[in-house]
Amino acid sequence: MAMSEPAVVVRGLAKTFRTGWWRRRHQPAVCGVSFDVPPGAIFGVLGPNGAGKTTLLSILATLLVPDAGEARVLGLDVVRQARRVRKRINLSSGSTSFLWSLTPREILDVAGRTYGLLARVRRPRVEGLLDRFELTTHADQPYNELSTGLKQRLGLAKAFINDPELLILDEPTVGLDPDVAVRIRDEIAAVRRRGRTTILLSTHYMREAELLCDEIVFLRAGRILAHGDPPSLKREILSGDRILLTVDGPVATALDGLPGILAVRANGDGAECAVDDARKRLPEMLRHLESQGLPVSEVQVLEPSLESVFIELVR
Amino acid sequence: MTTTLVKVSAFFVRNWWMTQRNTFTFFEVAVWPVVGLLSVGLMTTFLRLPGEAVVFVLTGTLALSVVQVCQLDVAYAVLFDVWSKSVKHQFLAPIDPWHVAVGAWLVGALRGAAVFALLTAVTRGVFGVSFVAHGWTVAVAFLLGLLLSAAGLGLLVCSLLLLCGLRAEVSAWSGVSLVFLVCGVYYPVSVLPQPLAGLASAVPLTYFLEAFRAGFGFDPVFSHPLGWGFALAVLYLGGSYLILAGAVARARRTGMLLKLSD
Repeated sequence: MAMSEPAVVVRGLAKTFRTGWWRRRHQPAVCGVSFDVPPGAIFGVLGPNGAGKTTLLSILATLLVPDAGEARVLGLDVVRQARRVRKRINLSSGSTSFLWSLTPREILDVAGRTYGLLARVRRPRVEGLLDRFELTTHADQPYNELSTGLKQRLGLAKAFINDPELLILDEPTVGLDPDVAVRIRDEIAAVRRRGRTTILLSTHYMREAELLCDEIVFLRAGRILAHGDPPSLKREILSGDRILLTVDGPVATALDGLPGILAVRANGDGAECAVDDARKRLPEMLRHLESQGLPVSEVQVLEPSLESVFIELVR
Repeated sequence: MTTTLVKVSAFFVRNWWMTQRNTFTFFEVAVWPVVGLLSVGLMTTFLRLPGEAVVFVLTGTLALSVVQVCQLDVAYAVLFDVWSKSVKHQFLAPIDPWHVAVGAWLVGALRGAAVFALLTAVTRGVFGVSFVAHGWTVAVAFLLGLLLSAAGLGLLVCSLLLLCGLRAEVSAWSGVSLVFLVCGVYYPVSVLPQPLAGLASAVPLTYFLEAFRAGFGFDPVFSHPLGWGFALAVLYLGGSYLILAGAVARARRTGMLLKLSD
């Protein structure tokens, strides 16, 4: 794969699950999805429950065979060259689970063996991962005695055992205490800084995606609703900044027709305004309302977030 | 080659560590086989069977216990992952189903050999007959035949688990009993009704039991039982492996790998 070539290329990917023995039911999970992931980026896959995020990531991880379309990972076809893909990728998910009696050291050792790592490479790598993910003090404790946070960190540590070029993280911080989630996010950010690994990240937490992702796709019912980097998505989907004004009087009609105001909605004892640029328009609006005899008692500029984008998209 | 051995060792050490920590191991390897042997052996005492008949019947108990333990270990290659919901991690790695099967079978072979040794000792001590009375070669060939047959059965259980999910779990414990019904576990296959007798001739265990019992003076129904037994066992092993490889491919198509990890 050339350096400029995307790490992941997805074209018209589709997967439908068929359930039931007697009466076959068809449940489309991914419907003709296409996108590219640049090398070294953190690429977010967002969407509500049942959007097809896990199905999409599972196809790219070669755990699931698509019905139609094409997916290339690191220049290799995920169906025809699946074995070669598996050598160079790894996956960790929020629901990661391992054999209950094995210890973290043994789990990492077994994982290393499945990638054919010889003892002289495997042993220092296992110890290094235990250290990096702060698991050393729990290294010989059975898996079923570990806390949820430790299990999640072990799942992430296991995903690094083969030093993957593509790391697939399926909701890696789901159900974690905030402090543990922060540590996992820091580790993901650190991987990006090292620059060698491309990361595909699915998450429910918009703040997490906003902090980590260079590019994002929003999925709903197996289709891409929006695709871009977080700032441009916020700009495009939310159509500008939001200003909340508390005014005693008919503020909505007073603001009508002012330049740069995209929409005004009456909101209790004031209005919510969508403007093209809050910094530029707010002083003009305040001056205008003052001149109309409508003094503003409170102003709130709402910072647009991915969460708002998400809500807007699923509305 | 070295990489291949390392991949096989992943499933050997994994099953070995699990076996060491599993309380049921003691029951699977020591308690239930000995209980089965004693109960059948005491029945032969009650029925006042002659020495050869005692060996004939106890050979069935021995074979049943060895095959049960060994095939269970092969099935554990997938069962452990199904129980712990970690199936996808196993199949995410660049391994072939045979790495899994061989690694797990090696643990099964060790445990099966342990059961064979234990039951041989108990039979000699309690009932005064020895399974190795006609030499170690015969006994080792019999044991190898049992372990090969167990590998084929275990692979079928793994395939069923990947095809049907946890519903197929029961096959890990019940499948062997069905096979032993037709292969003449406590009786010669000549006493089976016709459709079952025909089926018996297609089961490698029938031949291994016949070959071993021939050493104790029982005329085999089939000629060259050991040769036929190994030929069939290898054939079935190859067939079972192909079924397993097909089941893994199907599980990737249907999403069963993910379902078993949720």
